[in-house]
Amino acid sequence: MFATNLKIAIVVVLTLAAYTLLANMIPQIESEVPEEFNLSGEITAERLVAAGERIYNGAGGCTVCHGLGTRAPNLLRSEGNLGRIGARCDRRESGLDCKEYLFRSLTEPAGYVVEGYNPIMPDVRRILSEDQVWTLVAFLESLGGEVTVTADDLTRWDAGEQEEAATGTSGVSLSSTSDPLELMTELGCFACHQLGDLGNAIGPPLTDVGARREAEYIRESILRPRADISSGYETFAGMMPADFGDRVTAAQLEALVEFLAAQR
Amino acid sequence: MNARGLIRTACLALVVALLLTAGADPAWAQAGADGIREYGNFPVVGSRVAVWVAAQVHLMFAAFVLGVPMFAVVTEAIGIFGKDERYDRLSKEFTRLLLVAYSATALWGATLTFLLITLYPRFTIYLTAIFDVSIWFYVALFFFESATLYIYYYGWERWKKGGAKLFHWSLGILLNVWGTAVLFIANSWLSYMMSPPAEVTPDTAPAQVQFWSAFANATWMPINIHRLIANVVFGGAIVSAYAAFRFLSARDQEERAHYDWMGYVGNFIAIGALIVLPFAGYWLGREIYEYNQAMGITMMGGFMSWLWIIQAFLIGVLFLAGNYYLWVGMGRIPGAERFTPYTKWMLLVLIAGVIVWATPHTMIASREELAAMGGTHHPFLGVLGVMSAKNTAVNLMILTTFLSFMLYRRANKRPVVSWVKQGTIVQGMALGLAAAVVVFYGIYGYFVTAIVRIGFSVYQVLTVLAAMILVVVLDILMLRGAKARGAIRWGEMPARSQYVLIVLAVTFTWLMGLMGFARSGIRQHWHVWEVMRDTSQWAATPALGYAGIIISACVLIFLAIVSFVFWIGGLVEKPVFATARSSGESDSGLLPQVGGD
Repeated sequence: MFATNLKIAIVVVLTLAAYTLLANMIPQIESEVPEEFNLSGEITAERLVAAGERIYNGAGGCTVCHGLGTRAPNLLRSEGNLGRIGARCDRRESGLDCKEYLFRSLTEPAGYVVEGYNPIMPDVRRILSEDQVWTLVAFLESLGGEVTVTADDLTRWDAGEQEEAATGTSGVSLSSTSDPLELMTELGCFACHQLGDLGNAIGPPLTDVGARREAEYIRESILRPRADISSGYETFAGMMPADFGDRVTAAQLEALVEFLAAQR
Repeated sequence: MNARGLIRTACLALVVALLLTAGADPAWAQAGADGIREYGNFPVVGSRVAVWVAAQVHLMFAAFVLGVPMFAVVTEAIGIFGKDERYDRLSKEFTRLLLVAYSATALWGATLTFLLITLYPRFTIYLTAIFDVSIWFYVALFFFESATLYIYYYGWERWKKGGAKLFHWSLGILLNVWGTAVLFIANSWLSYMMSPPAEVTPDTAPAQVQFWSAFANATWMPINIHRLIANVVFGGAIVSAYAAFRFLSARDQEERAHYDWMGYVGNFIAIGALIVLPFAGYWLGREIYEYNQAMGITMMGGFMSWLWIIQAFLIGVLFLAGNYYLWVGMGRIPGAERFTPYTKWMLLVLIAGVIVWATPHTMIASREELAAMGGTHHPFLGVLGVMSAKNTAVNLMILTTFLSFMLYRRANKRPVVSWVKQGTIVQGMALGLAAAVVVFYGIYGYFVTAIVRIGFSVYQVLTVLAAMILVVVLDILMLRGAKARGAIRWGEMPARSQYVLIVLAVTFTWLMGLMGFARSGIRQHWHVWEVMRDTSQWAATPALGYAGIIISACVLIFLAIVSFVFWIGGLVEKPVFATARSSGESDSGLLPQVGGD
């Protein structure tokens, strides 16, 4: 009896040891928590790039899609003979320099989906602080280009945040236009929504939105886009920014709602 | 005080000691901004490991006590309607194991709860604020389930005949209803942590979260179904390990025959349910992708990508060991020798399947590693590691295992229906056609876009399922009134076959721990995905090597306690056998006939 029990125990322990050994033989990758960028001391380009590279290869989770397979553009290599991301970033969007383009594509990715790819990238601010985003921009600029991110970018953003905290307003500047089409262009609505010939067919079309939805529903969808996801668009749930309530005035919002409700 | 009372007292003392230790030193605590303590700290191993171990061991026992009643009630039904008392006795023996395991489940559940309260107080408050109503229901159901279990077991001999027996069986069904409801409620809590409704943000107060949308969140039902099936698999595996343990320590041939048969039934249930488990897993994975692509990509291609290689290895062990047990078992079946030549080919398919399934593809790699590979994919792995090849491999492995079962089932039978030849040809064609369809879509998948390719896996799965259903239905009709080629020699199994059952149980348990880590780990540093951040010192999700050590520790703790449960079961069983032998009950069918079917 003792011998049988001993044999069973040995079989169990050996099996467990084999599986534990296997788990320890493969590459060991830990999912890191995004570390805060320490602003103390001199902020040099080298420091920013080094911090950004750590985030890119670690907590940012960028390597999951960028640089592997066909999910997202390869940032580390040249694509279409345009060079690496640091070399080609200033040619992606007219009117945007490299730094601005990279920052926007990280924080408003739905508006900057490269042709041929699906809009699967989340707003990185969900997992990274603003300072960390800037270090990421610096790292990406360094891949074939010149690093233009400076301490001013970080401190400017921090000042903006403090102002926002003090005044209760968003750091994003408010538009003064009352024209709904201009407003929609400024807010980047057409990055995902189609209205006539304008825009991309990622989110629900707005061409006939007034025939399908009441004004109240449209208002709610602008202010709280996650409250109700239109059928067939569940995959893109959470992509639409939820801060439009802070970025438009009440009058602008009502003009927008009225305009959209009239689209039949 | 009986043995159960002793366990309960000892474990309660342990819980109290842990609580006192965990909460005694204020230096371990981290205070939140509003003065409410965010986290406690558990000595030596830390809070994360403490909660991890408690949750995992609790889940292992919970899976066992939810899975076993499912097939206890099925085997009881076979006993009632098939008028075969062996199955009734087997069902009772399953249920006896439940009693002690049930106490252990409750104790580990309490341990987990107390550790959450003391180590993650803010998170626990948040979760209870949303789910308080369901927690009350959970507790009430627990009372009902306990009461039903005790009445079910202790009423076995009292309600043994006629209408009373049907009443007793209905108690078994009721036990399953309570158990399933308990499972569904608990699943809502953990699935909410993974997939909170889209409208819930970090600024949403718990009171503003709509209960039902939180309860029935995106991954709730897929997890329910996946766990229901997995619990059956797990319960079957542990029961067959129990049978193997009893077989190896049996004192005579009669006892050996009984536990050989019990091990076979347990393994049949485990492997049978395992065959459909990947389909439920596929659904769950798809829902995770639907909910949040970033989470899905993290799961399959991010830092967890290597986890699936380990999973493939473990499932390979399960398929190979499960088939090996069947092939060895055919040695005790007269007539099975005619199928022996086929086993080497089935082994070949299984090994090839495991190799393809365990081939990595999209891995996180450093720039140096990418340069060494000559690209983002290794030239060989790029071809074999894709879903087209993997889906083809796993479907062929499932078909092969199914064929093993069918050959095992057919081994001892000589069909008497006139259309046996045509029926067998149709069965062969169904399996052959299914394999051809699987291979066709596997190859075609290389020539289409990813989104089209993903749809192909549905065709492959449906074809395999349809073929299996057709073959089983034909087999049942074909074997009506079939004659036996000879009596199955229960008990005449080599000892190595029983060690295979034990390896299977250990592997199932380890796999359960690994999948638990995967499901929980994809949240990364979030208590509730993108809603409540883990700001403790244990927020980082550890690498697989570390996780493997913790999983092994959990499995060891679980198996040590289960061994104790088995020992308790043995204390009761020995007098039963002695009584049965002395009263000659084996002749009446209470014990399995040595050499009987």
